[in-house]
Amino acid sequence: MNPVTLNKYQLIIMADDKQVVLERILQVTRYRGFLINGMNAEVNTGNNVATITMSVSSERPISLLVDQINKLIDIKGVKVDNSEVQIKQYSA
Amino acid sequence: MTKSKTLTGGALLFEVLQEHGVQHVFGYPGGAIMPIYDALYDSDVKHYLCRHEQGAAFSAVGYARAAGTVGVCLATSGPGATNLITGLADALADSIPVVAITGQVPTAAMGSDAFQEIDIFGLSLACTKHSFQVTDINELEKVLHQAFEIALEGRHGPVLVDIPKDIQLAEVTQRLDKLSHLKNKVQLPLADISKALDLLTHAKQPILYVGGGVGMANAVEEVRDFAEKTGMPSVSTLKGLGAINPDNKNYLGMLGMHGTKTANIAVQECDLLVVVGARFDDRVTGKLDEFAPNAKVIHFDIDTAEINKRREADAAILGDLKGNLPLLTTDLDIENWQQRLQQMNTDFAWRYDHPGENIFAPAVLKTVSDLMPSNTCITTDVGQHQMWAAQHMSFDDPSNFLTSGGMGTMGFGLPAAIGAQISRPHDTVIAVSGDGSIMMNVQELATIKRYQIPVKVVLIDNAKLGMVRQWQDLFFDGRLSETDLSDNPDFVMLATAFDIKAKLITKKSEVDAAVKEMLDHDGPYLLQVKIDSTENVWPLVPPNTANDKMMEGV
Ligand SMILES: Cc1ncc(C[n+]2csc(CCOP(=O)(O)OP(=O)(O)O)c2C)c(N)n1
Ligand SMILES: [Mg+2]
Repeated sequence: MNPVTLNKYQLIIMADDKQVVLERILQVTRYRGFLINGMNAEVNTGNNVATITMSVSSERPISLLVDQINKLIDIKGVKVDNSEVQIKQYSA
Repeated sequence: MTKSKTLTGGALLFEVLQEHGVQHVFGYPGGAIMPIYDALYDSDVKHYLCRHEQGAAFSAVGYARAAGTVGVCLATSGPGATNLITGLADALADSIPVVAITGQVPTAAMGSDAFQEIDIFGLSLACTKHSFQVTDINELEKVLHQAFEIALEGRHGPVLVDIPKDIQLAEVTQRLDKLSHLKNKVQLPLADISKALDLLTHAKQPILYVGGGVGMANAVEEVRDFAEKTGMPSVSTLKGLGAINPDNKNYLGMLGMHGTKTANIAVQECDLLVVVGARFDDRVTGKLDEFAPNAKVIHFDIDTAEINKRREADAAILGDLKGNLPLLTTDLDIENWQQRLQQMNTDFAWRYDHPGENIFAPAVLKTVSDLMPSNTCITTDVGQHQMWAAQHMSFDDPSNFLTSGGMGTMGFGLPAAIGAQISRPHDTVIAVSGDGSIMMNVQELATIKRYQIPVKVVLIDNAKLGMVRQWQDLFFDGRLSETDLSDNPDFVMLATAFDIKAKLITKKSEVDAAVKEMLDHDGPYLLQVKIDSTENVWPLVPPNTANDKMMEGV
């Protein structure tokens, strides 16, 4: 078994408050190879701005995900919380 | 000034299409889109009835690519909408601006598993650049404008607008007085121009790696100018073909899995890659870790997410290629490198002296290429014939070579040719297809018949799913699993059934006359070219192998 280094990141995402924005973020995150470890979303609040915080982990650099989320039309901005944690896991 | 008149949602759709210059749309009607088809009845927009929604989507793609504009397709809810998906995925992979309109069951019925209800909005997330579902008639106009803007903004792509039937029927009085503008996202000013210039002036063996982004950025002139002025040897991806003038003596041809020997060796040896509108696709790089191992990289792109995605850039220049590339034009002292590669170009030139009477597909395609009028638009399907077209035909512009690059979708060629021909009625359009691929959208022969679209089809018939058969022979011990097509229909009879003139050739000696006859024919024409089932595409870089370890056949 090869040890796989999973990096853990915290993302803060600001988006236009469209109904489908959560689904878009989830789809991109999964497709680009990031596991979602936790999520908190303030959406459909009626004030046009959705705020989503999400912790994700992956072997891949977080910039790959940030760039892809940023490309979504409804996204206003993505911030990465700098305090990243490394966890070692063993792949099957 | 606000224009105001009362319209139904359906009528409003065609008003907005016309505001965006749309003259032609491709589609197929059905229950949930009937109000839109009713509005079409009174509209000046010309609709082409395709015979499958996938055909409509690919015709919209072909239209967009050939004319450099947005292609539009329409489909009903449920199966109509799902039939569009392959075309949208293709447009996403190749960054093609398409607006797809789907009918949806009435809002009150949505979410009830109504007849022909499918969550196309949900399905669209993975295969469009963006999508909308309109549940308020007052949003429809804004959404339609945004769909066009998003399709064309930055890196192009497909946008889907799902419109429930009651919204199509609802009346709306307000007209916006101007187009809505998308918020412009602030992009990082990622433009390492001085770093790039420094890399360039120190390079001894630079290569210009040209991709499909060049045509889409409308930067063919700038890229040609750069290649000429710097004398930098260049290679092209499948989608970049036509960007570099094929007569440029420092042009080395296509790189990658079926690239030229010279292009692949040159890239492996280069010390600098200047990447313009390309994305290090796996079919280009072979084994990524061993791709251009000694090269620094200057990467030009419109999409931030492509920078550092598969290969780290030493200098990244984000934004409009048209404005950015000329900033890098400089004199280079690379004569030895140029001469070596020019010599390789000569030493490894394609050969057409194939023994025997049987037709050699590369030679036929070379003949078509030599005889076709300038500004001919070629489309292809997917397989060996596609790679032979890429290798042996010359294109004077990327909009003259339409092939499914990112998705590699069989069934692309015929409907894409229909769209291309409609957008460019005065140019010759030729679909290079295979005996497998043509059957994937063969129903579009009926579209050709109905509208008398003068598309020519060169059908390379090896009675095989040739590309898969080649891999089975090379990498699966010759176990030919499900790749035999020796019971194909009689293609000449098939074309004739659609009133399309057709001819079969089987011998080398027939090629020249047959190609001329096809090109001289006024209407649609299908030329079936019988070739040997065992021919392979060479060279071939096996998967996950460095590009200089190519197999060259016999
Ligand atoms: C829709 C789709 N299904 C399957 C494939 C896999 N595939 C790639 S090439 C090929 C064979 C194509 O046969 P044909 O059109 O006769 O072309 P040839 O390789 O024989 O020239 C197949 C099945 C594909 N690219 N697209
Ligand atoms: Mg075949």
